[in-house]
Amino acid sequence: MAPRRGDSRADSRADLAATVGRPPAASAGTVVGRSLPRREGPAKLTGAARYTDDLIVPGAWFGFTLRSTEAHARLLGLELDPAFDWSRVVVVTAAEIPGENVVHLMADDQPALVADVIRHVAEPVALVAAADPATARAARDAIRLRTEPLPAILDPLASERAFARYEIGRGDVEAGLAAADLVVEGTYRVGYQEQLYLEPQAMIAVPGEDRGVTVHGSLQCPYYVHAALARALGLAGEQVVVIQEETGGGFGGKEEYPSMLAIHASLLALRAGRPVRIVYDRHEDVAATTKRHPAVVTHRTGVTRDGRLVAQDVDVVMDAGAYATLSPVVLSRGAIHAAGPYACPNVRIRARTMATNTPPNGAFRGFGAPQTEFAAETQVNRVAEALGVSPLELRRRWAYRPGDVTPTGQVLRESVGAGVVLERVAEAADYEPVRARTAEARMARATRPAGARTDRLDGRTAHGIGLALAWHGAGFTGAGERFLASVAGVERSADGQVLVYTDSTEIGQGARTVLSQLVAEALGVPAEAVEVAPGDTSVVPNSGPTVASRTTMVVGGLLIRAAERLRADVEARTGAPFATSYRTDAAQAGRVRFDEQFEGYPGIVWDDATHRGDAYPAYSWAAAVAEVDVDLDTGEVRVGSVVAADEIGRVVNPVLAAGQVEGGTLQAVGYATIEELQARDGRYLNDRLATYLVPTAVDAPRIEAILLEEPFAGAPHRAKGLGELPMDVGAPAVIDAIHDATGAWIAELPATPERVLAALEAREGRR
Amino acid sequence: MTLATAARLRFTVNGRPAEVAGPGGRRLLDLLRLELGLTGTKEGCGEGECGACSVLLDGELVASCLVPVAQVQGRAVLTVEGLAREGRLDPLQVAFLETGASQCGFCTPAMLLAGRAFLASGAEPTEDAIREAIAGTLCRCTGYTRIVEGIRLAATDPPGAAIPAPALAPLAEAGGSPAALPSGAPEVVSPGSLADALAVLAAEHPRPIAGGTDLMVGLASRAATAAWPLLDLGDLDELRGIRLEPGRAAQFGALVLGALTTYAELRRSALVAEHLPVLAEMAASVGAVQVQNRGTLGGNIVTASPAGDSLPLLLATDAEILVESLRGRRSVPAAAFWPAYRQTALASDELVLAVRVPLPVGRHVRFRKVGTRQAQAIAKASVALAWREEGGTWRDVRVALGSLAPTPVRALATEAVLEGQRPTAALADRAAAAVAAEISPIDDVRSTAVYRRSVTARVLRRLILDAVPGRKAG
Repeated sequence: MAPRRGDSRADSRADLAATVGRPPAASAGTVVGRSLPRREGPAKLTGAARYTDDLIVPGAWFGFTLRSTEAHARLLGLELDPAFDWSRVVVVTAAEIPGENVVHLMADDQPALVADVIRHVAEPVALVAAADPATARAARDAIRLRTEPLPAILDPLASERAFARYEIGRGDVEAGLAAADLVVEGTYRVGYQEQLYLEPQAMIAVPGEDRGVTVHGSLQCPYYVHAALARALGLAGEQVVVIQEETGGGFGGKEEYPSMLAIHASLLALRAGRPVRIVYDRHEDVAATTKRHPAVVTHRTGVTRDGRLVAQDVDVVMDAGAYATLSPVVLSRGAIHAAGPYACPNVRIRARTMATNTPPNGAFRGFGAPQTEFAAETQVNRVAEALGVSPLELRRRWAYRPGDVTPTGQVLRESVGAGVVLERVAEAADYEPVRARTAEARMARATRPAGARTDRLDGRTAHGIGLALAWHGAGFTGAGERFLASVAGVERSADGQVLVYTDSTEIGQGARTVLSQLVAEALGVPAEAVEVAPGDTSVVPNSGPTVASRTTMVVGGLLIRAAERLRADVEARTGAPFATSYRTDAAQAGRVRFDEQFEGYPGIVWDDATHRGDAYPAYSWAAAVAEVDVDLDTGEVRVGSVVAADEIGRVVNPVLAAGQVEGGTLQAVGYATIEELQARDGRYLNDRLATYLVPTAVDAPRIEAILLEEPFAGAPHRAKGLGELPMDVGAPAVIDAIHDATGAWIAELPATPERVLAALEAREGRR
Repeated sequence: MTLATAARLRFTVNGRPAEVAGPGGRRLLDLLRLELGLTGTKEGCGEGECGACSVLLDGELVASCLVPVAQVQGRAVLTVEGLAREGRLDPLQVAFLETGASQCGFCTPAMLLAGRAFLASGAEPTEDAIREAIAGTLCRCTGYTRIVEGIRLAATDPPGAAIPAPALAPLAEAGGSPAALPSGAPEVVSPGSLADALAVLAAEHPRPIAGGTDLMVGLASRAATAAWPLLDLGDLDELRGIRLEPGRAAQFGALVLGALTTYAELRRSALVAEHLPVLAEMAASVGAVQVQNRGTLGGNIVTASPAGDSLPLLLATDAEILVESLRGRRSVPAAAFWPAYRQTALASDELVLAVRVPLPVGRHVRFRKVGTRQAQAIAKASVALAWREEGGTWRDVRVALGSLAPTPVRALATEAVLEGQRPTAALADRAAAAVAAEISPIDDVRSTAVYRRSVTARVLRRLILDAVPGRKAG
């Protein structure tokens, strides 16, 4: 199968664009649906793009962070080594915080600096800055923490303190299970995952003349940082300016943590009366910043003999770490997706996220769903095995169709792509024929004559194929988008330029390009005619954070409506099409700007208290088929290929969209196979790139992205979310493929060689 | 020759001459970013793991965080800022733009230079070859698919589109460096001859540095402890080259490999390919392109890590390490060279000159490294197996292991099980059981004792099974 794909993609430049499964609607214009090159591409390709650490800030000092080394302790005091020359540095502790000692987000429980109790290893306790890094480091090392240890809770299952609990359900699960012919039980565990954006966290704070501060940083959400700074520094909103610089990847890792860096850099800058830069090295970045939540997910699934799904009972426990950060909403998303995209009359999902004395976990592409969907999909694949049915066939029967009802009671009215992604991926990956061949090979290996011990694992490797299906709600969960009430605007400036105003950030995903395409299409002008205003909170409005696969769907929708109003305004004045008249109109009418505020999607109702209703305005859908070779001597898994079909509503830019699918797929493959962060006593053991391994180009599978369109009528451009979706589906497909190859289920991610070899040896022992 | 501060360094950057003073032990990465204002070269880890700081040094891809500036003397550096010509993107840059090979852009400069080195090599642009060429540069956004496509496109059908390149700040915009220079970088002395080097070594005991792929790791964050002076071996031609020592009468021939032989040179060498191809196989398993271009056999020997990739092979082949000091020259058997964890048999005034690997007639050598990843992997376990075939039975059997003890070790009891035997499947099982019983691996951050024991036994069993006559490789 690989050669076929290779041939089809090798030569023609047109083929470099991903396959779009359905041609764009007939009404499509000339800009949306085209693979226009990335707007900031030339700057990134020549070294001209400036990331935070590239900025020249004359006179800036260097800030460093003194961190705790204990998981739980009372902080009794700080001892400054009298032998050190403290006149050359500034030191900031919790006592010197002018505003509230809190990193504002949801629960406001996390201090910017420890005041009295250390609650996890690597928690910031004091800050130092000096004119050169060596002096600042030496100063940090000359401060000793006096502490008194407290008992630490490191196991979420042993914790009694929950940051959030939810119960979601419909029907009667116990009755459903009692009536089932077969109940399959399973417990699944997933570990930490590090975002590993290539650019480490970086922030530069510049004190202003009005006692205010301007920060330049690598970040996803300018207004999160803005609110957190105002709160901790005790400043009015207008005294704080947040500027996003070119950002070298985020994946959620720059959603909430940059607020911490911005507060730290600002505290030092205000104290020192000069700019201060804080740039983490990789070791500090991995040791201190948020990770994907580890989780334990338990399933009981009831089915009838003829393969109908009658009951799903799911229990989810996530390890939040020491502070709430975003854990309640990570858990909510995880719980809502926990039963998988399958119609079932009796469902119960119980979920909790527990406090432990470990570094707080937070946002990471998928936001709780990769954990629960890995469990759900592996469970479905195990049910298929128990029923003796093909995993594809079982999903054909169970997967959501229009009119089906989700566990929160949402009726799926439109844009339900589960069926189409399944069929397309199965066809493109040759799923059933390959599966028949791997089954034959597995049988042949298993039926070797008894007594031939050395021949039992004669094959060097075993080949397997696996399938998974996923759904992912676009935008904030439930009433979140209404609360955000995002604003975005489009301007025709006095000098005849078109400018897009949004704080949605370009972090590599292509937001700048996609948003300018959407506005250009609405105005009837070429995309090059549209500029995106810089991500500077003194310039752009709060369009909400750049997270939750919401930028194209939600912010893009606002911008299209704003552009339509601008177009109507100009055309009413000039009586000519916008494209030919907006420049001349500028001379008479001057600057014209229209802002749109989010008010809700029609017919979407949600009750936060009961977790019932329409959890998301729309869902995107993905199916993936992975093929693996398992080395039977070493337990190493090579993922050779992944075919991914993603249904995302209207595709705005096929090349950028395929890039999201491919990149998310590789992160999922890493999650499934080698990305393991080990912890002991609340401390990460392998917090370096030599020990936390991510896939290189020779580890990465060949990835074929197939983009499919089931337009979503609720958005003016018919687009849904994409960024997180691929992260949900890759890992269970790989685990299914390992099972197909070896007969062993690996119920804990990642499937490291250690775990796979242990499973192989357990099977050898049984024979 | 003394350890006085080196003279000013002269070299070229993107075709233009540059001249700097200061400690020779600071990182090329800092020189480019902080002194020359070439911030297109990025720092992602400072440990040679991510590859984001890669540049071309005389056309070879290197991680600039691992290169001491003393070793740039007289050479040519190419950074991403030097790719566009006459205000236009070059075809590789255009190909990246067309295929969508750049997302967040942080790895892009290094990927372009990896691509440039690949294109210049003239290698067939197959998918596998391109992937290997970029394996030392991590990307977290793209899944690599479009980067591979971009390089292939530039190789097979270079785009001709004229796309203007954004204006760059002039070289050495100096003044406000983006960050202060790390202080305390070591001084470097670069002797031009072995005699000079040995004299300096005996007098002042500087630390010898070859490719820097171990010594420079994390230098920036441990400046204070790294301040001891360095002895740059790079100009010592006496330590270079691979030659064949022909056999004479009762004596076997041997391969003599200079201490400065890089992994890349091992992979390219016709002599190695003919006489000891397993050495090239080992070299291909080390790091990725950037480390293979810089890392040396001598450096691997002296670093003395139990995970050093070449060491089990040197044990299994009865290699001798040739060392020299002002006091004279001597030869140390590999089996006696690593007495304890990260220690060597070298006296403080001795340098490793070369490695002599005897080439007995009828000897076979096999090697397998287990490292989880296909590139940039440090061994969790490695197994080297050698034997001499004599009328169907195995003689002079050697089983040497890496990452399984505080030093690279030979498994003597396992060797005894195999010695004088005919290879059979049953013998493979017995040897596997023997090696599992003989080793005492540990749990650490890279793996577990249980896994190491098990995988070592299984890999050894496989290496033996593959040598059973008439047995088809599975």
